[in-house]
Order: sequence, then structure tokens, then C-alpha cells
Amino acid sequence: MKLTPLTKGLLADALLIIAAVVAFYAFPYDLAFLTRIVIMAILVLSIDLILGLGGIVTLGQAALYGSGAYAAGLFAIHISGDPLLGLAVGMLAGAAIAFLSGLLLMRAEGLTLIMLSIAVALVLQEIANRARDWTGGADGMRGIRMDPILGLWRFDFIGQTGYIYVCCVLFVVLFALKVLKASPLGLMARGIHESPARMRAIGAPVYQRRLILYTLGGAIAGIAGALAAQITQLVSLEVFNFSHSAEAVIMLILGGAGKLYGAIIGTVIFMVVHHLAASVDPFNWLFIIGALVLGVVFFVPQGLLGVPTALKRLIGGGK
Amino acid sequence: MNTPSKRLLAAPILLALMAGSAPADTIRVGVIAPLSGPFAIWGQQFQQAIEVFQAQNGTEVGDHTIEFLYRDSGGPNPDQSRAMAQELLIREQVDYIGGLVFTPNALAVAELLTQSETPGVIFNAATSIITQQSDYFVRTGFTLWQVTVPMADWALEQGITTAVTAVTDYGPGIDAENAFRSAFEAGGGTVLDQIRMPISTTDFAPFMQRVRDQSPQAVFGFLPAGPPTYAFTRAYNENDLQGAGITFLGTGETDETTLDALGDQALGLHTAYHYSAAHDSAMNHAFTAMLAEMYPDSVANLASVGAYDGAALIYHMVDVAGSDGPAAIEAARGYAWESPRGPVSIDPVTRHITQNVYIREVDHDENGRLINREIATIEAVPDLGLSQ
Repeated sequence: MKLTPLTKGLLADALLIIAAVVAFYAFPYDLAFLTRIVIMAILVLSIDLILGLGGIVTLGQAALYGSGAYAAGLFAIHISGDPLLGLAVGMLAGAAIAFLSGLLLMRAEGLTLIMLSIAVALVLQEIANRARDWTGGADGMRGIRMDPILGLWRFDFIGQTGYIYVCCVLFVVLFALKVLKASPLGLMARGIHESPARMRAIGAPVYQRRLILYTLGGAIAGIAGALAAQITQLVSLEVFNFSHSAEAVIMLILGGAGKLYGAIIGTVIFMVVHHLAASVDPFNWLFIIGALVLGVVFFVPQGLLGVPTALKRLIGGGK
Repeated sequence: MNTPSKRLLAAPILLALMAGSAPADTIRVGVIAPLSGPFAIWGQQFQQAIEVFQAQNGTEVGDHTIEFLYRDSGGPNPDQSRAMAQELLIREQVDYIGGLVFTPNALAVAELLTQSETPGVIFNAATSIITQQSDYFVRTGFTLWQVTVPMADWALEQGITTAVTAVTDYGPGIDAENAFRSAFEAGGGTVLDQIRMPISTTDFAPFMQRVRDQSPQAVFGFLPAGPPTYAFTRAYNENDLQGAGITFLGTGETDETTLDALGDQALGLHTAYHYSAAHDSAMNHAFTAMLAEMYPDSVANLASVGAYDGAALIYHMVDVAGSDGPAAIEAARGYAWESPRGPVSIDPVTRHITQNVYIREVDHDENGRLINREIATIEAVPDLGLSQ
């Protein structure tokens, strides 16, 4: 049976929602962990947008994630504990930082771009470290207290509300990204990914489009950061850590860049393997993660979403 | 993973058999600590100290069997710590939480402890405010103020009246600078200069020259343990500050796990701290001997004694209150006992450990190994940071 791309997409959405619901009932004691996976998936999706779709290679997504987290935290402490408003503030902060840094970053490419994007995260980390009165410095920003969502659902101890909340946000983000991917901007982004020179030759404003894409990616990363701040109720300097950006890119590569579901699958696999390996052997689990990533990069460079195609080729002899 | 020898495992089992009756229940203690990554040494020191404690004291208290579970927090990572605490409390049904190395990690679990009425014993995280964030926190580590103020007082007693502070430019470094300055100036001393060094500094020679140019009688340093401390003490020697009459004052820079790496250049460094592996008491000898027997490559340090005393406190709380959280915290308030570091007690108000602070000088022991030799004792120092 041949599926059209549309039905395929709807089927995948349905599967994802079913998986989220099943996880909720199957692992009632692990909701805190599941919530972290979903938040991470949103961050990885933001990288998928700029790297997978637009071909903009950065290792500084933590800058945008962290800005969202600190903005949402400050908003909750000083202005209002409403989660949805906080989410909007985090999104705007991520987008604003992405836009401002993007004005410079999007002029660069390759290694220069990577180095600059890391530098932005480091600069922001140092600012947060210096502004101790506002951010708490290395001790972390405490005192974040959230109101019930829409005044109805209180964040509970087991984390049920938190999990449902982040899942809803994930679905909204995923839907928005699907729309974006199919839009003229999305198509142009793919063109730029394939060949910036050719796009420039046909008259596309490459720099401007890349800047828009990077800003949108920043908005989504800001959402992820805001969610993390609201769920943990504490923001620390580590949100800007390089390892945050790097791990997210690894998750994306694991699942398959450029495919939205790849980002989600990669995040789930990475974090579950990490979690299981770390609870079986807390001292040596990094080896297992390392082996997994090596295996994927060597044998299925397309990411785990490329596994079926790779198997088909293996069995069918390839064409 | 390391496992203690069979003989040691057999001891508690024998004890259980001798007690005759099967224990009524199992009390579980979840330890959140870095077990992987650059800070993994913390988790390792915690686990070894707890296993030494259990080998010495058995796994049973009254009718209860005590079981420790470990969860990896990585480095400073509040998201992970909170999720781990939730998993321990909800799925593993632990009755006590222990560990917690970094301040943000401890702060992230505060609300969970309050909501679930679970006592949380902090083995290390050293910012004064933490114990105020939840009524269920107790701390068996130390605070920066607690060890820095005695250092300043001791320096004044030695006739040192001028000093320069040189600290790493991050939260704990700035705390240490403030603590030293306020105590030193309150006692009539003068801080000539306050140098803040970027956290990624590898060459400390320019800072040492700056210290030397102002010719103070002492330099107070605070750096994260590890390579920066090594480079800092080397620069102190290479620029011959000792020869220029500038005494080195510090706190945890001569940590036992890094002392050998510092080598003879560490000789003569003065630090104020709450624990030295060379502390001369029967309790400490028993602890270090057992540790050496079970883990020949290990050496006791502040992490070990924090966890060892954390386990001792948890045993006491279980003995009095079982798994009743609020009663356990009441039992911890004011509890006093003998620790490998000397006599200690839990302050009934701040729930922080009151302990002796020792002035130490790095010296050779009889076998030629470097140790922190205790040369003066300031008795029963409480946390001095909260009143600031």
C-alpha cells in the first residue's frame, strides 16, 4: 500500500499522541523524567529547524534556551506566575537574542559560525554570572513559583500537570514547524540548505531568510528554556553550558536531521538509553552512549529514521 | 563497580543472624551525587564512605534495615537533580535523601522535600542559604563562612595585619572574599587589594606579581580544587612569595585527593578547614584504616567525612523516628556525636553542623607523604554566613 505524504504525516502524529498517552499511564512514577525528555525534544526540534532544514550549523543553541529560561524565571518572580504568559516571555526572549546575535552570526558560515555561536552562549553565561542580584549567579535563580495553568490546573507533586502541559506545547510546536516546513519560507530554507549560491543567483535574499529562520529557532529554544524553568522552578548558569548545545545536536543526528520526527525519536532514544544505562551502572554509562552514537554515525548516517531505508537497501541489494 | 570484600559483606549478615528476629522494614536512602563526568570523584568518595560506615555499624538500626540507592546528578544540573529526587521519592519510595554536591542541585530539591516531608541530608553543597529553603534540610558538610572567618581570625592572631585576597571570579569565590574581608577588617586588619581571577585562568604569574608588588603579609586564595589550585600554588612558589614574607592562607586548596599532585611545592601552605585525613583521633584512625582496607587506592577528604557523618546522622534519625520525616528532623536538631573530624553537633536553629575548624599546615608525615597537619583548633564553629 502506498501512503501519501499527508496521510503518512497524520499517521505519525496519531502515533506520537498515542505514545504520549501510553507513556503517561505506563510510567506513572517516571513523569518527571518523561517531562525532561519532552522539553529536550522541543529544544532539539528548534535545532532541527535551523540545522536540519536551513543548514545553519551552530553549537550555541544553549544561548537561546538559557535566555528563555532566565526570562521566564525573572518574569515569574517579579511580574506574574502565570505559566502561559511566562512561556510567551521565554519565547520572545529566545527570539530577541537569536535575532540580535543572528544579525552578526548569519553573515558567517562553517567553522566561524560555530565558534561565534559558542561565544554568544559563553558571553551570556558570564553576564548571568555577573548579574548576581538578578540571577543568583552560580547559586541559581530561586523563588520561581507557578500559578495553576489557565487558573485551573495546579502543578502537582508527581508531575502529571507538568507532563500534560509540556506535551501540549510540544504538539503545538510540532504543528507550527510542519506548517512552516511546507510554507514558501520552508521551501526557500531547503533551497538555501542545498546551495546558497544558487539561491542567491535566482534572487533569493539568503541572509534575510537565514536570519528569520534563526530567529524562529530561537523562539522555539526559548520556549524549551521557559518550560524547564517553570518545571524545575530554578534556573542555574548551566543552562548556557556548551554540553547542552552539543548533546542536543547529538540527539538530532541520532534521530536524523531535517526530519521533525527524527528529532523526537533521537531525543527519546538518547535520554532513555542514558537514563537506563546510568541507573544500571552510574559510573560507566557514558561508554554505552558513546557506542550508540558511534554505531549510528557509522552504519546509518541518516539517523535512526533512516534505518528502514538502510534495511530495505541491504535486503533488496540496493539500487 | 567496586565491591567490598566478602568478609566485610558477611559481617552485617552475621549481625543480623545474631539479632535473631527478621527486621520489620527497610528504610531506603536515596543519594543524589555526581557519579559520572568531571565531578565523579564526589560520588565515589560518598559511596565509599557510606560503605565504610555500614561495614563498621551494620545495616540495621533497631528494627529497620537501611539501604542506600545512588542516582547520578552529573555536574551542577538542577533539572536532573529535581527529576532524580522525584524518581527516588515517588517510584523508589525513599524515606531520606542524601548527597547534593552543588548549590543549585540542592535548591532544586528543596520544595520536593518540604512537600513530601522527607529529610534531606546535604553532604556538601556549601551556600549558607540552602538550609533555609526547606525545613527538611540538614547539612553535614560546611559553609565557606564557617571556615573562612576562622582563617582570618587566626591570621590576625599571628600578627598579620595586611592581606590581599585573590579569588576565582565565581559565586563561591566571591563569598569567600566577602567572608575573609569582613572578618579580617572587623579584627583590625587591612585588605590592600581584592583580586578576582577569571575562572579559566591558567597562568597565575601576573596575579602573583600584583600581590607581591603590594607586599602584604599574607595572600588569601580561593580556587576550585583541581588544576587551577595546582597552577596557583606553583605560581606562588615560582614568584617566591614565601621568600618575600607573604603567607599563603586558604581553605580547601590542599584537599587530600589533590595534595599528592601538588607535590612538595605545597609544603608550608596554611589552610583552615573542618577536616584533615590526618586528624589525630581514634575515630578518624578507625575510619581511615577501614577505608584503606576496603579501597586501597582511596584517601579520605571532605566528601568522605560529609557522607560518613551524613550516614551517621541518618542512622540516628532512623533510630529515633523510623520513616517519620518531621520527627526525624526533630531528632536531628541538637544531636551531638563524635565524628572522624572531631566533636560535631547539629545546630537546632539553622540545621547546619557545628564543628571544630582546624588551622593546618602542609607537612610530611613519618612515611614522607604530604598531609594537612593540624596546628591549631577553633572549637565549635557554627555557620557564620546567615547573619551576614
